Formats: sequence, structure tokens, C-alpha cells
Amino acid sequence: MIAPSDVPSAAVLEVRHLSKRFGGLWALRDVSFSVGEGEIVGIIGPNGAGKSTLVNLITGHLRPTGGTVLISGRDVTGLHPWVIAHDRVARTFQIVKPFRGLTVRENVAIGAMHGNDRDGSVREALATADELLDLVGIAKHANAAPTQLSVADARRLELAKALATRPHLLLIDEVMAGLRNPEIESAVELIHRLRDSGITIVAVEHVMKAIVSVSDRILVLHHGSILAMGSPPEVLSDPRVIEAYLGRRYISRRSE
Amino acid sequence: MAQFLQAAAYGVVQGGLLGLVAVGFSLVWGIMNVVNFSHGALAVMGAYIAWLLNIRFGLDPFLAIPIVAAALFAFGYVVQRSLINLVINAPIFLTLLLTFGLSLVILNGLQLLFTADDRTIDTSYASQSFAVGAVNVPYGRLAACFLAVAITVALALMMGRTRLGHAIGATGMDRGAARLMGIRARHIYAVTFGIAAALSGVAGTMIATVGSFNPTTTPGQLTLDAFVISVLGGLGNMYGALVGGLVLGIAESIGGLLLTGTWVNAIAMAVLIVTLIIRPSGLIGKALYSGRVEV
Amino acid sequence: MRPEPRPGPIAAILRGRGRTRRALLGDWIRVRTLANSWPALAGLAAFAAMLGLQQLIAPGTQRLLTAVFLFVALAQAWNIIGGYTGYASFGQVAFFGLGAYTVAVLMNNYHVSFWMALPAAVLVGVLFAVVIGVPLLRLRGHYFAIATLGAAEGAREVINNMTSVTGGGGGITIPTFGDQAPTPYFGKPGFYLAFLVLAALSVVVAASLARSRFGYAMVAVHEDEDAAGAVGINTTVVKVVAFGVSAAIVACAGAFYAFQQIEFYPTDVFDASFTVLMVIMVVIGGSGSVVGPLVGAVGLELLSQFLRVNLGSFNQLIFGAVIVLVVVFFPQGVVSYLRDAWRTRHFSVLDNVRRYRL
Repeated sequence: MIAPSDVPSAAVLEVRHLSKRFGGLWALRDVSFSVGEGEIVGIIGPNGAGKSTLVNLITGHLRPTGGTVLISGRDVTGLHPWVIAHDRVARTFQIVKPFRGLTVRENVAIGAMHGNDRDGSVREALATADELLDLVGIAKHANAAPTQLSVADARRLELAKALATRPHLLLIDEVMAGLRNPEIESAVELIHRLRDSGITIVAVEHVMKAIVSVSDRILVLHHGSILAMGSPPEVLSDPRVIEAYLGRRYISRRSE
Repeated sequence: MAQFLQAAAYGVVQGGLLGLVAVGFSLVWGIMNVVNFSHGALAVMGAYIAWLLNIRFGLDPFLAIPIVAAALFAFGYVVQRSLINLVINAPIFLTLLLTFGLSLVILNGLQLLFTADDRTIDTSYASQSFAVGAVNVPYGRLAACFLAVAITVALALMMGRTRLGHAIGATGMDRGAARLMGIRARHIYAVTFGIAAALSGVAGTMIATVGSFNPTTTPGQLTLDAFVISVLGGLGNMYGALVGGLVLGIAESIGGLLLTGTWVNAIAMAVLIVTLIIRPSGLIGKALYSGRVEV
Repeated sequence: MRPEPRPGPIAAILRGRGRTRRALLGDWIRVRTLANSWPALAGLAAFAAMLGLQQLIAPGTQRLLTAVFLFVALAQAWNIIGGYTGYASFGQVAFFGLGAYTVAVLMNNYHVSFWMALPAAVLVGVLFAVVIGVPLLRLRGHYFAIATLGAAEGAREVINNMTSVTGGGGGITIPTFGDQAPTPYFGKPGFYLAFLVLAALSVVVAASLARSRFGYAMVAVHEDEDAAGAVGINTTVVKVVAFGVSAAIVACAGAFYAFQQIEFYPTDVFDASFTVLMVIMVVIGGSGSVVGPLVGAVGLELLSQFLRVNLGSFNQLIFGAVIVLVVVFFPQGVVSYLRDAWRTRHFSVLDNVRRYRL
């Protein structure tokens, strides 16, 4: 059930025939889908399926070999990451990238002073940072160095940094990996609150339980192409998806 | 046309020598990510040792080579082990500064001992040349060129075939993993730097044979040449250093024919900058392994 | 699916503040206290002190302090591109030489007054910085360092070979006598003042940059260019502007230096040891602050002069040894070491040595 690429481009994000090749390897091949305003779309797939590549292509950190990316109808294919950031697109990195020499608060403030509707002074940006740190729940670490944070808190910092740029579309890359259950639940709740405030969210994820409870729609990538797309129950019962994750023998055993 | 051929022949022979100057520098950079600003100083140090042996004992410079190599190896080993190893993990310009400070100490020491006068080692055969058609090839430079190629090949073979060579290569690719395998990284780094120092000392000896040297202008020129050649040939790539040396030698030789004045010096700079912009990993050769392109 | 965004704290943050410049200035004024103003006050006091000192000291000391001021400016300039932005340029001397030669050529060949030649020199420096910056700032680490070194050497060669304009290897002279001189020579006190103003200006520029949003952008580019790009920082612009500002200060210093020296050769003003001195001063002082390079410049220049006077021919050797020792024992810079040691009450130098060792 591949989504057609002629969905009206009032969509917040639209990806048409996106491809990326590294040397001889096609990381992504002819991927097309769109994300509407206020949706939460999850992207799942086995390791090496091309999920992070997709995020990098959308945010401008990689140039596509072919295809186009449209943000709110505007063609942003191949533009610099900061230009796309100023189109109100923010992202987190799968392996977190904090600014190590700065405090946690300053890390978030950087986004606030350089993003969209940017704060006019460092003081204001720091105030915004405080508000965001409160929101994600790491206010008590405001003056710490990013390297001192736990895994869960480091992910929260990464999220706060992205939110500081005041995005309309947020792409989060495997933010749940390694989190314990209560942490996963609070992350899911936060994502719902973000959507309620008007942010469209695309979440690349590996942790099934989280992605199922958070997404309106799920997109399954496999070997660089879209394998299935639809609501969580539809996708999870799709035999091709099960086969991709668990293998053909599992399918044949189950049907016996 | 004859002039052109002469310049080309000269460039080739000079290029071999330049390759020898560069190969140690390239090795240290490729394996340890250290840009050794004292490279030229070490070469000049070797030149002075050979010169002294020649003046005092009448020793032929080619025979002095093993002595120079041994002395410089020991010196390099100690320097790496006791100084450079201490700042290996620090930001880049710290090693640059350290090696620069070291070169100040070495060169000023040499200047105090021997004055800044130009020196050369005279041998009866070096200035003679033989003719190939319309082209004159000086014996001295030719011998130096052959030696350079031979040493480079020997080095490449050592790196590829011996246990030590493998250890050096492994440490260069992934220091942590190498240490887990039981390789003593501090020692290996020191050996690598020692080899590079020995090589530059030998190169310095060769240069003393075919021309003149002094402790003020020669070292800087040598270090810069070594840098350009290493970038051209790919970091840590032995054969690449030879090829890079040839390219630079020919370019400067033919450039000297076509351009006036000291524009020739600017050639090396232009080559360098163009290479860095187009293909930092090496215009001609490939880097020893491209996983190291953290720069 | 188009849900109406629910008003709440998140939406408020996302909306942005939309304050005007005037409002922000008002905020800034209102927040001024002694605690956050004392560095500026201290700087002002130091400036006034240096001014007053001029009347009291011997000409020899005046010359010494003039040299110190020169290096303070150079160190601050290097710190902007090398310390904050993290692009260690080893070719800063190119801007120095270009600034010097622009002034010399304009004053000698075209009888332009120094005050007109000075902005031209700064402009030339900035233009050169932009021209080589755009391609070279794409390189990182060692490559950038030596590419800029190569550019500096190349600039020297070009100047050396433009004999008809610059006098080439024969040097150039600025006319300073009688009606030949476009501008009367400043004399020792005049240059003391000139370099003091330059040093003060460089400190002010560096300090305001460091605390501004641009300063944070520079640090972000230094730490992680990908992450910086992702939050909306145009890394190319940040790098080129930092490089250009640095070049402007250095070119200005070169211009003053040229006028002071009156006659010089290309090797004098394109001397690579200027660059190395700049770098050493910042590294020894500590690159993360405005105070570090200041301390480094003052300390090292005084040391260098002391050595030159008292040790004669050994001075370069000792200088080299000092560099080696300081790099080994205080890799993060003396000021940073003192600051960290004070904070953690941990003064062991030997432990400090172990920080970066293999």
C-alpha cells in the first residue's frame, strides 16, 4: 500500500521519488510519501533500511541522488541544513550531538537565538532555554556539562535543542533507544503534547511499543524502499512487514 | 626543446630526492596524525652529522648514512616517547606548536654550534655528470635519487611484510583496537617517529651532497616541500610520496624554465592549495586508509 | 487531520518573543549591575592607566610596551578565528604583510595620507580573507592550518615579485621627511598611543563578539558543524566573517607597523614567526576567553624581550624550550589551567600532563 505521490502539496512534508546512493549501494530508492499538518508519522524498519538516511536527506545534511523534498509546498531539495532549519524544520540526531564545551542551558539557547523567530539577545535565549529545559524535564541540570547527563537526559537535551528553533515540523531519530519503560511513557506523552501545540512530527523509531502508541500512521522501510504504509494495526498485521522483521520461516511456521 | 628535456630530467632526479624528504613526514602524519614541523630541522641535523664526519674523518657521505640514520632514529624515538606522546590527544595545533618549539631548539642549537654559514659536503664524483643525448645527468643527484627510491621501496616492504610494519599500520588505523591486541602503542609511535627522523636525516645527508644547507632557510623549505608532497601523494602512502616528489620536482624544474624570478616558490604553494581544495585525500595517491579523514 | 493547536506553554514558546531592538537595549541597561560590568570597568581603568603611564616611563620601556600592545591585538585577532571558531589559521601573517604593503605602496607611490591608506589596508586584508576563506574554510584541522600557511607564503612571493610596485626583494620605504611625507611621522609617543588604541579596540571587539549571539555561533561551529547547521546557523557565513574580522585587525596592525618601521623587506612583514607567536600566545594564555590571549601576549612578549636583552644568542633556543615546556605542562593554556585549578582546588601539574597523553 504505497502512498500515491499526487497528494496535494498543502502537506507539511512531501517526499517524491527520493533516492540516495553511496558508491554502489542504494541506501534509499524511490521513496515517496507525505505528511499532513498535525500528524504524527512513525518510520520503522530493520537496521540498515535507510531510516536515518531519509532524515538526513529531508533536513539537508545529505544531498539526494534523485527526487525532491517539499516543505509546505516549497522545494527544499539539496539546500543547506540551516536554510531548511529556517523553514521551521528541526531534527534530533540519533547519536546525540551536544555542544560539549557549553552548559546544557547554553546548548538549548543556541537554538533559540539562531532558529526561527529568534530571540534578540543572549539573555532572552537563555530564558527561553530555561522554559524548554523545564518542559522536557532536565531543568535541574541547566548548568551541567552535556557529557554528564544520563542517556535519557541527553535525549531530552537533544529534543530541547531542536524545539528551541521553534519548528513547525520535527523529525526525531531513534529517541527511545535504551530507555526504560517509564522513560518511554513520558517521552510518548511529551510527543503528544508537542503535537497538540501544533508541531507535525515524524519519528524514526526502533522501539515498537513506543512507535505504535505514538503514531497516527506508520511507514515501513526495508532495503531503502517503502514496504508498507498505514495505520499501526494495519501495518503490524501486514505479512510482508512481519516477514521483513521476523523472517520467512516465522511466517510459514505460523501458517501451519 | 633540449632545455625542456634537461629540465625534465633534472626534475625527475630531484623529485626522487624530494620524495625521500617527504616519506618520513607522510608516515608520521598518516599513522599518528602529527604534522611534524621539526621535520626540516631533523634533516638538517642529519646533514650536519654527515658533514662533521666528512670534515673530521673524511668519511664519504654515502657511508655515513647508516650512522646518521641510527643517531636520528634514537633521537626521534626519545623525542616522541618523552614529548609528543604527551599531547597526542590534544587539539591539533598543540602538536604543531610542540614540534615548532622543538625545531627552534634544534636549529638554534645547530646555529650556535656551527654558525649560519652555508655548508656542503664535497665529493669527487658528485659534481660530475654523464650525458644521455642532449641531457646532462649529475652523478650525485642520480645516486641520491636511486637511494631514495630504494629506501622507499624497502620501507613499503617493511610496512607490508614484517610484524613491526603490521603493528605500525594497525596502530595507525585504530589505536584502541591495536592496544587491545597487545600492541604497545607508545612504543610503536616512538618507533614510527624514529624511522621518520632517520629518513629525514638521510635525506638531509643527500641534500648536503648535492647542494648546500644552513640552519636558517633550508629547514623551512624542506618542511614545506614535505607537506606539499604528502598532501599530493596521500598521507601515509610511501609510493605516493615518491610520486608526489616527482610531480613537485618536475613542476618546479619546468616552472623555473618558464617563469622568472622567484615565482617558482609560489608554484609549490599553488599546487598545495589547489590539491587541498580539489582532493584533500591526495591528488595522485590514495591515503593509506580513508577512514582517517577526520581532518 | 488538522487539529487546532491548543494554547499552552509550548505554544507560547513556539510563538517567539518579537521584541524590538529598543526594548532589548532597555532590558540590557536595566540589568547592568556591578557584578556583570566589572570587566568593562577594569578594562577602561587599564586603558586609562596605560595612557597615563606614557608620561612616566623611559623611551625604551615605551618601545617595549608598544610591542606588547601589537601582540595583544594580534593574539586577540587570532583567537577569534582559531580559538572561538576553531579554525587554527597559520597564515595570519599574510594579512599583516598585505596591510603593511598596502600602506607603504599607497604612501610611497601615490603620496596618499596614512589616514586614507589605513582603511585601504584593512579592506585589502578583508578581501584577501574572503577570497581565500571561502575555499579554504571548507577544510578542517591540519589541512586548513597548512593551507593558510601556504597562502601566506604565496602572498609573500607575489609581493616579492611585483618589483615595479613594491620594490620586491629590495624593500620599500615610506617617505617621512618634510614635504615628501604625506603624513607626519608619529614618533615613539604617537605609535605608543596608536598601538594602545589598536590593542584596546581588539579586546573590545573580541569581548563583544564573544558574548553575542554570533560568538555562540562561532563556538557552535567549533564544537559541531553538523549540529550547528541543524539549529539554523549558517556555518559558512560564520566562518568567513570570523576570518574576515580577524584579518581586519591583523591588517590594521600591519599598517601601523609599516608606518612605524618606515622601511622594510617582504621577509620582515611576512615573517612566519609572527603567526607562530600569535598562536603561542593564545595557546599559552588559553584560547577560550578574552583574558587568556591578553595574558599570553603580555607574558610572552615581555619574556621574549627579556630573553633577547639578557641572553643574547641563546634567546631563541630558550624561547623554543619554553614553548615545548608550556605545551607539555599546560596544554589547555595557563589561564584555563589556573581557572580550573582554582575551581576544583586541584593544582597538580603532573595530573595536568596526563590529560592528553597517550
